[in-house]
Parts: sequence; structure tokens; C-alpha cells
Amino acid sequence: MRIYALAVYLFLYIPIAVIAIFSFNAGRYAAQLQGFSTQWYGKALSNSFVMEALQTSATVALSSAILATLAGTMAALALQGVTGRPRAIFDALLYIAVMVPGIVIGISTLIALVTLFDWVNPLLTALWPTGWSAPQLHLGRGSLIAAHGLFAMALVVIIVRARVAGMDRSLIEASADLGATPWGTFRQVTLPQIFPAILAGFLLSFTFSFDDFIVAFFVAGSETTLPIYVFSSIRRGVTPEINAIGTMVLAVSLLILVVAQSILQRGQRKGGGRAA
Amino acid sequence: MTNRNDFISRERFMAELMRYRKGSVTRRHFLGVTGLGAATAVLGSAMPGLRSAAWAQGNIGDRVVLATWPNYHDPANFEAFKAATGAAVDMNVFGSNEEMLAKLQAGGSGWDVFVPTNYTITTYVGEDLIEPLDMARIPNYDPASFNERFAGPGTVDGKVYAVSKNWGTTGFAVNTSQLGGKPKPTTWKEFWDLTQAEFSGRTMVHDYQLTTIGNALKYYGYSFNSIDANELAEAEKLLMAAKPHLFAISSDYQPSMRSGDAWMTICWTGDGKQMNRDMPEIEYVLGKEGGELWSDFYAIPKGAPHMDAAYALINFLLDPAVNAKEALFHGYPTADKRVDALLPPEVLNDPILYPAAELLDALEFGAAVTLTDPNRAELMARFKSA
Amino acid sequence: MAPATIWLLAMLVLPLVVVLVFSFGERAAAGGYSAAVTLENFANLGARWTAFQNTLMLAPLGTVLCLLIAYPLAYYLAVKSDPKWRTLLLILVIVPFWTSILIRSYAWIFLLGGQGIPKLVSLIGYGSPRLINTPFAVLTGIVYGYLPLMVFPIYVSLERLDKRLLEASADLGSPPWRSFLQVTLPLSMPGVATGCMLVFILLMGEFLIPAMLGGGKVFFVGNALVDLFLQSRNWPFGAAVAVALVLIMLVTVTLYMRFTRRWAGGRDDVSLM
Repeated sequence: MRIYALAVYLFLYIPIAVIAIFSFNAGRYAAQLQGFSTQWYGKALSNSFVMEALQTSATVALSSAILATLAGTMAALALQGVTGRPRAIFDALLYIAVMVPGIVIGISTLIALVTLFDWVNPLLTALWPTGWSAPQLHLGRGSLIAAHGLFAMALVVIIVRARVAGMDRSLIEASADLGATPWGTFRQVTLPQIFPAILAGFLLSFTFSFDDFIVAFFVAGSETTLPIYVFSSIRRGVTPEINAIGTMVLAVSLLILVVAQSILQRGQRKGGGRAA
Repeated sequence: MTNRNDFISRERFMAELMRYRKGSVTRRHFLGVTGLGAATAVLGSAMPGLRSAAWAQGNIGDRVVLATWPNYHDPANFEAFKAATGAAVDMNVFGSNEEMLAKLQAGGSGWDVFVPTNYTITTYVGEDLIEPLDMARIPNYDPASFNERFAGPGTVDGKVYAVSKNWGTTGFAVNTSQLGGKPKPTTWKEFWDLTQAEFSGRTMVHDYQLTTIGNALKYYGYSFNSIDANELAEAEKLLMAAKPHLFAISSDYQPSMRSGDAWMTICWTGDGKQMNRDMPEIEYVLGKEGGELWSDFYAIPKGAPHMDAAYALINFLLDPAVNAKEALFHGYPTADKRVDALLPPEVLNDPILYPAAELLDALEFGAAVTLTDPNRAELMARFKSA
Repeated sequence: MAPATIWLLAMLVLPLVVVLVFSFGERAAAGGYSAAVTLENFANLGARWTAFQNTLMLAPLGTVLCLLIAYPLAYYLAVKSDPKWRTLLLILVIVPFWTSILIRSYAWIFLLGGQGIPKLVSLIGYGSPRLINTPFAVLTGIVYGYLPLMVFPIYVSLERLDKRLLEASADLGSPPWRSFLQVTLPLSMPGVATGCMLVFILLMGEFLIPAMLGGGKVFFVGNALVDLFLQSRNWPFGAAVAVALVLIMLVTVTLYMRFTRRWAGGRDDVSLM
């Protein structure tokens, strides 16, 4: 059993090791080892396009994850009081949002927005006072955040709703009986109970958006996210710079994880395991 | 300039070039030793447009976005451009004109400069996707010094939309060490036959219809540009029969050819040159039946966000000294006489860059209707999804 | 609920309706869409039959392979591993996920290419097998890319398992393999069902792995779609393929959920919904 597990971990980590090893390659071709060097790390860090792509990815992932978590949590809570046809329709939409492949979301969003902009932009120009340049809608961060957030929001609704369903109702009733305002009850009773689910939804949303290539490929317009940058670089012949970027992203995420883990554990000891 | 620069042997030039490319000498050293620096200086003083370094025409912003093809630029030139103007070049690399067109049609590409091929330009003009060029802002472009055959397609209805970048051919590259003593293939017929026999599992074809279908048509001696239904049906039969024997369908063939995974591929001039330079056993062949002759251009898409930087970059790259450096790096000839004057005879006599007349005469330019023909597009898609 | 509803309407319903409308249109002369009402695009779907066939074969196959590899690992993590190391081991399963799938697939191109595993094999003297650009390479990439998504739900369902049930089963004289079949396996079914559905859904829309590790030769519906939009610029036909894909998924996933729900005894946490 243990040997089997070891074998699976080897399978998971050999490609990662290959990436890391080649990131220290001195030569400029990614597939031929030519001695040790850390030059590609310097190159990647001083490459303004890499840093910008990273920043775009982080901004988009953070914005879409926050918006998706807010809207999703609100919906999950509101759904408790919704029954009948509206509930059925909402559930069906969620179901479709989770199920439709990313590639279809990307393509359909692209053609819908392009068609929409083709109508709206001349209208804006016509309505705008002459002499001023009218604002024009185009694909970019906005469309990217909206498209990424869609799938993420559906995910948040599902995760949070499961938690809400498993929530101890008597606590809420008790809180109301003791004269707490609805907001007070929410803040002090409901929120702590569903917080782990919200956090899980947020992290999933962030990860999904940060790593997504296919939706961004279609709806990002002129914005370059990190996966798009990597895709374009692979075409121009991979230099170890890409491996260096990958290794750094990995190292930073590990670091964040270790920090988060230790904070969570401390919180757990203090808060009696609520946050687990 | 001192006497030191008066003479440099061919061998010395190539040796210096290799040293420079490996990064063991600086650009200044290279230019000084080879005399290219002197040539630049002389040209600069001879041509007023050059000396006034037209790209230094004020603040052009911090970036310019370039959509281009794989292995098609010398990174050192972009660094020099950044040093001179402050604008960094963001390079987006594409695999086919179809893909570039699709991205521009979808809108919001964010490109400032792109590199269309001859047969696409009328389509871009018809679709209103390309900006007419203000030639006053590209003083380094001297129409008189360009070969009209290659620079001509940039002008549509008397308006200049694109200026000549490079020209080249589409042949195939073959790793001769894998032939097992058999003679080197010289025709497209042999290319496809070899693919289905000894080279099974080792051949690559381009991931776009123009050349892949065009060179399958050549197997039967039809026109590279044919849109005749019967001829296309025959080409489809050949492609379908060859598909199980292919290594990959991809326009990025250098890594697989260099690693030895692939032995033969449809190939452009410069990629053939680059591979042959490092691995002499990989040879570049033009099929005797013909095939594609093409020329690429610099152009500006409608609504480019950094128009000043776009003009500055085009003008910079058309500076004959810069253009010569590009050509030495990527191995594609230019249509500019001024650049040829700066190139060493080895390059000018290189049969990969400048094929023999009888091979060149058999080639055809791709046609606009070949690009947009729905049947060819659908044939390619069927071939890929089969 | 209002923001969520607006979001769903604007970014899901509207685009899907546009795709549906486009699927009845015609390709414009230079590519793109021109308005029309025709069923021709749907009549032509047969021209992409191989792509659908590949997807409908390799997606379930990839899912099953993921399951076969993931289940023992999840079982080891949830039941056999030292609780002290459990969290770390779990985290190690997701960590590879944080490097872009593009970069990881690129590593596989090297590993499966002539300078990688085939070279090792030939050094031992077993010839030089062709691995890269084959369905095998695509399956490897798929299993590699989606394994964590399968491990986690199974782990969660196994971890919830009441160990006393196993002890009781052993006390009653049942051999370990019978306890596994009669107690552990049925109780972990919700996790298995969730994992399978997640992986299957994502695989049906896969594009990157076949493109990178299949050399453009192993075609999924996703690749056909990208090709129709980025190469042939046949938007209406692309829209028809997208509509067909969504319909196929609606049918298969709904059937799958009906089936697993009955199978797992009507439990509600069987799947995502």
C-alpha cells in the first residue's frame, strides 16, 4: 500500500522535478542541459511582461473570486427561503453553469460579447456629444472577470448551500429567541458556521481563475494572463525562463500554504476547531 | 574608421557571427570587427532619414505589441529598440495567417504591429481590419530599393497598407542521416511517399491548410492554389492516407526535428536555415514540382493602441543595418537591395535563402481566394479531426 | 440572490442563446457569421464524428483510469496513513496543480519525447517505443492533470467512514476483502460518484492536453471547436458543434446522476448538486 502511494507521488512529482531542474539550465534551449545557472530567474523577474501577466492574473483571480464568493454566498443563503418554480429554474441554471465545458463558455461569451459590442458601440458614438470621443466597450479584464466568476459563483453556491443545509438550526432559533437582531444572528451564529465553506469556495474560485487558460484565451481581448503568456512563449521556443516562472509560482504557493496552515492551526487551537 | 575594418574574410565573418550569436562578444565588437558598423555609419550619413534616428521622435510610450511568426526576430534588436526608445516589444507568436485573421476579426486584439503574408492583405483591406500607412512616418522605407515582386502585394488600390519584411519559400526539411543510404528526396511526391513508408511516424506537416493542402496537391502536379473540387478530393485522399503515418500536425517543428523525434517536415526558408546551421544533416529541399513562394509584411491593425510606437518599431526594423542583423539571425532574405549590400557573400550565395532559378520559377504565390475558400478550410478540419 | 441571477442570465443564458441562434446561420465569405436560418450546420455534424467519437471514448476511459489510480491512494491516505502526516500528504497531492497545466504538459512532452522515457527504455535494451503524440500520451496527460480531482472527494467520503463499522465486520468473522466490498466500498460510493462526474465533465471539454501531447493528431471536440473558431473561422458550424456538445453532456450527466443516485440508495450528497 505504501509502495503504491510512493509510486503515485513519484508520478506526480517527476514532471515537477523536470521543470525545476531545467529552470537552472545554463543554455537557452529548454530541452538540453548545459550546466547550472540561475540567470533565468533574474531574466523572468526583470521581464516586465511576465510581471504584468502575473499581476493581471492575480487581479483577475482575486476580483472574480471575491465577487463570486459574495454573490454565491448571498444566493446560497437566500435560496433557503425559495421554493417552487423559481427555485427549480435557479437550480437548473446552476446545473448548466457547472456542466457546460469551459471551452463552450469561452467561445459563446466571445461571440455574444462581440455581437453585443457591435451593436452598442456605434450607438454610444451616436449618442455621445460631438467633439468628445465616446467610450467604446471591448473585451478585457471586465469580460474576463465576469466569465471566470460565473463558474466560480456556481461552485460557491453549491458548496455553501451544502453547509447551510447541514447547519444546526436550533442555534439560529435560540439566538432569535434571545432577542438578537437578524444581522446579529447572521454575524455571530450563521457566519461562523458556514465560514469554512465560504473559504473553500473562495480558494477554489481563485485557483480556477488563476490557472485557467481556455476561457481567457477567448475572452481576454488584449489582456495577457500568465497562462496566456506561457502559451505564447511555448510557441516561440521554450527557454528555461518559463520553467523558472513555474518553479517560482510553485514555491510561492507552497510558502503561502505553509503560512496559512500554521495560522489555521493556531486559530484552531484557540477557537476549538471551528475553522477546520 | 581605421584600416582594421577594411577587410574581413568570409571565414572570419562567420566565426565572428557565431561568437556574437553565442553571446561571447558584444554587439559593438561584432559590428566593429565585421565592418557592419562602418557600413551603418556610411549609410547613415548618406541617407538623412536614417541619421536623424526617426524612432527617437519623442515619447512613444513604454510598449509595443507585435504579432508575428515563430523564430522570426533577433531578440538583440528588440533590446536595442528598447534602449533607444524606452518601448519594450511584447511578442505574440502565431502559427498561421488564419489564426491571426480570426483574432483580428474577433476584435480587441491589442496589437500594434502584425506580420501578414502577401495573400492575406486584400482580405484585411476588404474587412477593414488594417490601417493605411502614413509613409512619412517610415522614412527608412525606400520603395525604389525594394524588389517589386515581393513588396508589391503591400499596396492595394494605390494605397500602401503594408511594407515588406522578408520573403521566402515553403519546402521541406529532411534529416538525411535517417535515410539509410537512400538518395535525398527532391520532390513532393517523394515527400509523401517516404512519409507513408520508411519515414512512417516521423513526418510533420503545417497546422494550416494553405501549405499542407497545397503541397498535397503538388503530389499530383496540380496548382498549389487549386480550389477545384475534384483536385481537392484527390488531395484529401492522400492526406487521409498519410495521416496515420504523421508524427504531428504542427507549425512549430524545430524542437521535434532538433531532438530527433521527427525526421522530415514541411518547412519555411528560415527555419530550414536555422536547423541546417546547427545540424548540417538536416537539409532544406524545394520540391521540384513547385510549391509556395511568399512574402511577409509589417502592417498596423485598425485601432492599434500604440500607434506612435508601431510606426517607430517598423521604421527601426527597416533600418538596413538592423534588417541585415535580423536576416543573419533568422535566415530569411529581404527584398531590400540596401540590406543585400550589407550581407556577406556566403549568405547571398546560400542556396537555402536564394534557390536556383529553375526551382524558384516553379513556385507560386498563395492567392487570396486560397485563404478564404471554405472548402479548403473544411477539408483541413476534416483531415485534422479524422 | 439577485446578483447571482443577473450574472447567470448575462454570462450564461445570453451567450448560450447567441450560440443557439448562430448555429442556424451561415459562414460569411471571409469567415465569421452571417444571418440565416438553415439546418445545414447540424446536418454537417457527421464531419466531426471522429472528434465526438474520440471524446466519448477517451473521456470515460480517462475517468476510469483516474478512478483506478486514485482510489487506492485515497484509501491509503484516509485509512492507512499516519494521521500525523496525513495533511501534508494530502497537500502534496494538490501542489502540482499550482504550476500551470501548460508548463506541466510541456514537461511531459520532454518525458515522453525521444530524449526522455523512450531513451531510458532503449538503454535497457527494449527498443525505442514511440510515446509522444499518441493516444497513450494523451491519456497520461489526462490522468496526470485530473488525478487530484478524483483523490479528494473519495478521500473525504472514506475519511467520514466510521471505523467501528470495519471493526464490527471483522469481529463478526468477515475477512478484510469482504469488509471492504460490503462496508467500505458502498460507503465511499458518493465520493467516487462525485469524483467521476467532476473529471468526466472537465474531460468532455478538454482541449489543451490533446493539443500538446497528441501532436494535433488526437482530436477532441474541444480541439474541433478551437479549430472552427481560430482556423476555418466557421462560427455557425462551430456554434452547432458547441450546441451538440452541450446537449450530449446534458443527457449523459443527467442519466449518470439518475443512475448513481439510485445506485447509492437515494443519498443526496452523491454528486455536486
